[in-house]
Amino acid sequence: MKYFESRLKANFDNIEDIKEKIEFCERLGIKNIILEPTISLNTIPLDIKENLKEVTNINLYYRINLKPNNLTTFKKKIKNYNKFSDILSVETSDKEIQIHAARDSRVDIISFSEHDILKSLTPGVISLIKQNNSFIEFSLAPIMENNKSFQSKNFRNTYRFLQLARKLNVNYIISGNFYDLYDYRHPRAMISICHSLLGIPLLKAKAAFNENVQLLLNRAKQRQDENLIEDGVRLIGGK
Amino acid sequence: MINLVRTERQRYILFKIIGEDVTNLNNKEFLKSIWNSIWSYFGMKEANKIGLWLLELDLEEKFGILRCSHNTKEVMISALSLIKEINGKRIILSPVKTSGTIKTIKNIKNSVIR
Repeated sequence: MKYFESRLKANFDNIEDIKEKIEFCERLGIKNIILEPTISLNTIPLDIKENLKEVTNINLYYRINLKPNNLTTFKKKIKNYNKFSDILSVETSDKEIQIHAARDSRVDIISFSEHDILKSLTPGVISLIKQNNSFIEFSLAPIMENNKSFQSKNFRNTYRFLQLARKLNVNYIISGNFYDLYDYRHPRAMISICHSLLGIPLLKAKAAFNENVQLLLNRAKQRQDENLIEDGVRLIGGK
Repeated sequence: MINLVRTERQRYILFKIIGEDVTNLNNKEFLKSIWNSIWSYFGMKEANKIGLWLLELDLEEKFGILRCSHNTKEVMISALSLIKEINGKRIILSPVKTSGTIKTIKNIKNSVIR
């Protein structure tokens, strides 16, 4: 089955760094990866995409993550992403930006990967994300913490907010988002962790690593379609 | 004669060992760290249901096979995945495949190694 590692950060200035990470993922048996540049890039250069396509058999997808400091910066940055072909995510603890991002159809994911950002998730933001058919992202990186005390706190917070998202029936994806090579895990292993330790039913956990990610990729693809006015409304024929 | 006590079903898990220097490790150290992981993340409630048995550990080919009860397969995979180091050596125990019979898991192991 097609399971996705939905967030793999890599330094796009250093192609060897990306290759090393991809090679490690191959050793783990991961088949689909969504790469994210750690450096500030407006778009992913085509030559890098072509270059990486030749290196590996893994299906590679790309995303850009925005971390705006205030609302003005967010509004300024988002102007560059009309008809953006890759996935666009926003990661911030600022509630005002979260609300604007949740309303904006250009934003695909509101990310709550970091443990301090996770605490800022509210039912109001979830409701807006749901209306816009976009996605919430949770990450398992905080639970790989070495310090047992922090690890248990992170488990507790991830559990709380994942259950909140499940209760409100919003679209969500779960990613690894690991920093260290030796923290990387196969998505199937992460599904087991979600099921046994975070209380998500097995099928729902599998959907967060597979079907929901495919829906997300389709959403980004549909943006390129000029005949698609909005979700469910499409121009057919007529010149 | 009808056997009234139904035998518990088993699952065999094939896992890959990814690490820098693993050839010096032994079965005992592996089992100890797997049990540690089970105990710290799941406690006695789950640990007593697992029925863990390390069947094979091939440090040259970097593969291992273990057996557990079929109800605790997900617990076992989680516990394996949450191991980060053994004896101070950074390591990943990545589950590759699960099967209900030893024959199938050995066939899968042979095909994966090839």
